[in-house]
Amino acid sequence: MRKKFSGAWATFEYLDDTCAAIKELRNRGFDQITTHTPCPRHEIDHALGNPQSRVPFATLAGAFAGFGLAVLIITKMALDWILPVSAKPILSVPNIVPIAFELSVLVAIYFTIGGMFLMILRDTWKHPVPKSRKYKDYDRFMRDRFGIVVACGNHDLKKIENILKKHEAEEVNLES
Amino acid sequence: MNQLTYGNINDKVVSSMEPPGKSWMASMVLIFGALSMGIFAWAIQIRHGLEWSGINHPIAWGVYITNFVFWIGIGHAGTLISAVLYLVRAPFRNSIYRASEAMTVFAVMTAGLFPLIHLGRVWFAYWLMPYPNQRDLWVNFKSPLLWDVFAISTYVSVSMAFFILGLIPDLAAVRDESKGLKRMLYSIPALCFRGTNHQWLHYMRGYLLFAAIATPLVFSVHSIVSWDFAMSSLPGWHSTIFAPYFVAGAIFSGCAMVLTIMIPLRRAFPGFKEIIKVKDLEGMAKMIIFTSLIVTYAYIVEFFMAYYSGAKYERALFWFRPFGEMSSFFWVMVTCNCIVPLAFFIKKIRTSIPALFVISLLVNVGMWLERYVIVGTSLAHGFAPFAWGSYQFEWAEIWITIGSFGWFFMWFFIFVKIMPSIAISEMKETLTPPFRKKK
Repeated sequence: MRKKFSGAWATFEYLDDTCAAIKELRNRGFDQITTHTPCPRHEIDHALGNPQSRVPFATLAGAFAGFGLAVLIITKMALDWILPVSAKPILSVPNIVPIAFELSVLVAIYFTIGGMFLMILRDTWKHPVPKSRKYKDYDRFMRDRFGIVVACGNHDLKKIENILKKHEAEEVNLES
Repeated sequence: MNQLTYGNINDKVVSSMEPPGKSWMASMVLIFGALSMGIFAWAIQIRHGLEWSGINHPIAWGVYITNFVFWIGIGHAGTLISAVLYLVRAPFRNSIYRASEAMTVFAVMTAGLFPLIHLGRVWFAYWLMPYPNQRDLWVNFKSPLLWDVFAISTYVSVSMAFFILGLIPDLAAVRDESKGLKRMLYSIPALCFRGTNHQWLHYMRGYLLFAAIATPLVFSVHSIVSWDFAMSSLPGWHSTIFAPYFVAGAIFSGCAMVLTIMIPLRRAFPGFKEIIKVKDLEGMAKMIIFTSLIVTYAYIVEFFMAYYSGAKYERALFWFRPFGEMSSFFWVMVTCNCIVPLAFFIKKIRTSIPALFVISLLVNVGMWLERYVIVGTSLAHGFAPFAWGSYQFEWAEIWITIGSFGWFFMWFFIFVKIMPSIAISEMKETLTPPFRKKK
């Protein structure tokens, strides 16, 4: 079950207003921020302090796993049933390279997908969002609006509302 | 002309997914007709065996392997556009990459049918897979044909994953633009995507890694297909030039097919004219000129190597190609692949939509013939003159080939009606975002 949400969410028409609001919120010590954008924007990343993703580690692990798997199956199968072809060695590096490369890529891709989804789930769990019907039904985040969700205690709600309104939020919703 | 905005990109793409009209229905009737004839011909061939094809001794590979290499080549361009052009940030990529990726997936699905059709006894296809079996007999890892099984399987998996991953934010956009049952149906593949910073952060990093990993795959897959030929000891095939030659040829034919499908798509949905600009199509035309020159160079080098090596059978083969019984195919191939694309050096031609369409069709014909010439001539003229032969394709092969186009276009026509055929979020990335204080 998702964590209970207490905080505010707002929608913006302009990207610069959104970035300015994020920066001020962070300067005032509010770090539980989730943003919404119709497409990825570096301006938002900069305002959020350039967070880094650890997905590449999953990719690297997948590439090693795929390579190991390829070497293992080729070695096992070549030695299990010896297929002598003229004077060629039973097991040689050139035979292994194409399949090791393909399986490294294949498993790396699956690990990347898995890692990506797990990391998104983890971050979403750590940063709760509103449970209200109004928030769930708001359908312009993937169209043309920017959004900021801030999780905070009830005593900070007024402070956050003022910051969001100061930066020309189209609408501000408080939930406790 | 309206200025593109975040909102109207959604509107234009979603409007292309409205219920189909008469022209779509009429096209589907033709497509199903072609597909049905292909299935019928294959059924007859399964019933009576490969004697119903023109395959004979010594030409054991015919139109089916030609089709296999042709469709894999077509499938090449999508991943090239989505991965390689993504890494180099090519400006003409964004509007065309989604349809090109779809083209890749459907082309590889089509290509995958041909080894099965060529097997004759299709029910034994599973013998290609390394699985623990009763006889303890494993597949032969020394064979480039097995490398091909792995290369194609990996390529189709990665292309599909790349395609589906790219669709997630756009399906979320379509979900938010829909109501009722449609909204519910699109919310399932959209996977709760709402464009949060956490989602974009990991998604974009994952996407970049996908592109980086898929890039060497673009070059490896057709290299491995070329080794199906080059690893064997036959005049005209046993050559180190084959891998780069095949890769360039695949990109060449793939880019031509992108034009062949994007131009009608642009015409079918008037809103797309503002998104798929003539400049984007011109970018593809420049790729075609570049790869055409590489292909032409490869043709010349092949002839030079045959002459300079002094190998009798190699020389005989490269005499047979332009002057033997298959010479007409050779000369049409040279015209379509080496001469016709030169017209793109003229800006007026490469920015003319009808000219782009006609030339792209001719390149497709030329590249199909290239594979046909490579397969047919080398097998017909091996090292043993007493075993030389000739090849004439039969009606079953013709219908199965036409049916393969039906199969490919069936998927593509269904795709444009149920999925966003232009990448919504990537198109938005190319626009200047809305700023209150104008920069």
